[in-house]
Amino acid sequence: MEDVNPALGAFVQEAREILENLETMLLDLEGQPQPEQIDAVFRALHTIKGSGSMFGFGILARFTHHFEDAFDKVRDGLLSIDDRLIDLSLKARDHMSALLSCGGDCDEAEALEASTEAGRLLRSLSDIVSSTAADAPHPPAEASRERRWRIRFRPEASALRNGMRPDLLIAELAEMGRITISFTAGDLPALSDLDPATSHLCWIVELLTRQPLSEIEAVFIFADDAELNIADVTEQAQPAAKAAPAPRRPPEAAGENVRVAASKLDEIMDQLGELVIAQARLSQLATATSDPDLETMVEEVERLVTGLRDSTLSIRMLPIEMVFGKFRRVVRDLSAELGKDVALVTEGGETEVDKTVIDRLSEPLVHMIRNSMDHGIEGAQARLAAGKPAQGTVSLSARQEGGEILISIDDDGAGLDPEAIRAKAVERKLLSPEAQPAEEELFQLIFAPGFSTAKQLSSVSGRGVGMDAVRSTVDALRGSVDVQSRRGRGTRVTLRLPVTLAIVDGLLVRLGSSVFVIPLASVEECVEVDAAEQTRDSGRTMLCIREHLVPFLELDAVFAQAQSAEPRRRVVIVKADGQRLGLVVDDILGQNQTVIKSLSQYHRGVEGFAGATILGDGSVALIIDVASLARRALSQRHAQRTAA
Amino acid sequence: MTSDTIATRPAAASRREMVLIFRLMGEAFALSVSCVHEILDPIPPTVVPNAPTFAPALVNVRGAIVPLIDIRRRLDMPPAPADAASRLIVLELPVSGVPTRLAILCDAVEEVFEADTAALETVPSLGARWPEIYVKGVVRHTDDLVILLDTDTLFRPDG
Repeated sequence: MEDVNPALGAFVQEAREILENLETMLLDLEGQPQPEQIDAVFRALHTIKGSGSMFGFGILARFTHHFEDAFDKVRDGLLSIDDRLIDLSLKARDHMSALLSCGGDCDEAEALEASTEAGRLLRSLSDIVSSTAADAPHPPAEASRERRWRIRFRPEASALRNGMRPDLLIAELAEMGRITISFTAGDLPALSDLDPATSHLCWIVELLTRQPLSEIEAVFIFADDAELNIADVTEQAQPAAKAAPAPRRPPEAAGENVRVAASKLDEIMDQLGELVIAQARLSQLATATSDPDLETMVEEVERLVTGLRDSTLSIRMLPIEMVFGKFRRVVRDLSAELGKDVALVTEGGETEVDKTVIDRLSEPLVHMIRNSMDHGIEGAQARLAAGKPAQGTVSLSARQEGGEILISIDDDGAGLDPEAIRAKAVERKLLSPEAQPAEEELFQLIFAPGFSTAKQLSSVSGRGVGMDAVRSTVDALRGSVDVQSRRGRGTRVTLRLPVTLAIVDGLLVRLGSSVFVIPLASVEECVEVDAAEQTRDSGRTMLCIREHLVPFLELDAVFAQAQSAEPRRRVVIVKADGQRLGLVVDDILGQNQTVIKSLSQYHRGVEGFAGATILGDGSVALIIDVASLARRALSQRHAQRTAA
Repeated sequence: MTSDTIATRPAAASRREMVLIFRLMGEAFALSVSCVHEILDPIPPTVVPNAPTFAPALVNVRGAIVPLIDIRRRLDMPPAPADAASRLIVLELPVSGVPTRLAILCDAVEEVFEADTAALETVPSLGARWPEIYVKGVVRHTDDLVILLDTDTLFRPDG
């Protein structure tokens, strides 16, 4: 029942963010570490330690304590930063992240604590710490003198209900030095009125310690709402009255940002979708009644709805940097594992993308980076021989183009080998031996399920999953993948993804009496069907458009509807999985912007549809998913051939 | 006697359930009212090509896209066109654990009555052609037999 306690939820969330940042901070230390950067790492660890023990993450706090010790030495200049320390720190960070995921001091966390991996980490940490202890010249100046602090602490009335544990805070103070504790109970109500979950007490702790003020404050870092006074009473006999309020951490720009559950945004998006639909119906009605006053009003509403839609969509937008940031670690670890020196360059991290897209993108991007590093970038010897710098480069870039986000992964490696792909594809029966596909089509084959050209399996890639997973994710996001490659020069894989998943620009097409929506992003052009083509029943299903052969599908047949008797039909040429394909429909009705509603579990498995939408007249129209439709048609065709 | 009545009443009350009676081909069927969201005049459906036959279409229920479940197909009844008495019953119930809104078309909606589920009789094996798993049992109401349907199995997608 984690969500019952908002403060605990906030801690887990905050700790997760701190750990994410910690990874970046540690990687930043690799260059030329600045004292502030080291301080930042130390503070991050300290925060997790302190608040962790307060919220029942004792195991996490204990582990972090050792980690923090090491950085304490770094901060004091007793320990220098080297690769070994960064490696160890990154591993320790991962361990902390795992402990955090356990959700507190449960069996799982205990098992993790007892694991050999954890033991090794702790030993390495204590080795590092003790290696400096011997040659430690002197403790830092600030901590040299013992001071007496008087801490007056009154938790906010509801703090106990939120999971605050004053006893743990005091225990933490006790670790810092000698303490005497007293408390005032003046505010305590009569026993009959006492609510045990409300905090009425005020603690006064006298602490004799060498630790600086900032350390004491850090103990209370999560008790934001509490009344807190920390006063230095070293020289004084009766200090309480003169206690100065301790400088508090600024409340992290609370007025500027609001943390909102993603589900609430989804709800708003849903309601907005309905509003857009209702508005479309309204303007249809207004056009029918042709009342100028009403029409003016409808235009006004339309403007407002469009504005509201845009600002709601912008709330869901996050900079893609959030995904890019994770890859520094991936590249670092892989460089070590593969023994290749590879630098990661990112560009366009500020490009904003819908949260849903971001969430689903990170895995496919990892696959692609792994692939680039494993198969693309050559070993240092081969690179030098080819006249390239020994260090390989993988660059990740993002930019927006109209309603699409383009994300490219470039490497300066060996490039794809069309012949090797061809041979592999034939071997895997993905291609017939006689086929002579264009290079572009050949490259698309690397996304086919079970395709892998790695000569030897590594832990990194070559498991035959990966690139097909990339494509299915991209398909699910209604995007597409392009591959460009030059032998010896490198490979560029470009993902094209819609900026948002909630709204789609669609082409309305009619088939018999039903209307379907084809996402405009996949439409290339529309042509009319030749009368001769209509009557052809030889089995040929391709058109010749400007010298190019384009296969087509009759949608009435794919959808198992009665054969159309329309005299003049049209073909919508779409791009599916990098190939052109014609969809024969009865008519093209126009373009519109539609709000996508996902299908229920009864229809989610039906191939060929990405969702449904409500049209201006209130009827439901299905949104065609071109890629899955093409695949369905392909497997049908195969089935027919095998049957024949 | 008095103490006896008091003791048994709560137990008896807990076995009573409000059900909605509707007609399909002249038979009276019933569903618990707790899952009935609303009753509407038929809405023109949008057929989903290649969809499972028992969930052939979608309807727009006030801005929400709702799957239309063909329970005639479930009960092995022949299809029939809607007429003036036909109604759409919109239900909201968990399907495989997910709260789902769905609609069924019936020939007529009749009434809500308090069924005594303690008096539920099982249908004899040869008593009906409907697949047994979709039927909870039969209750008597006035002079009629009312067939209480099992919403758990009736709306399970993989059927």
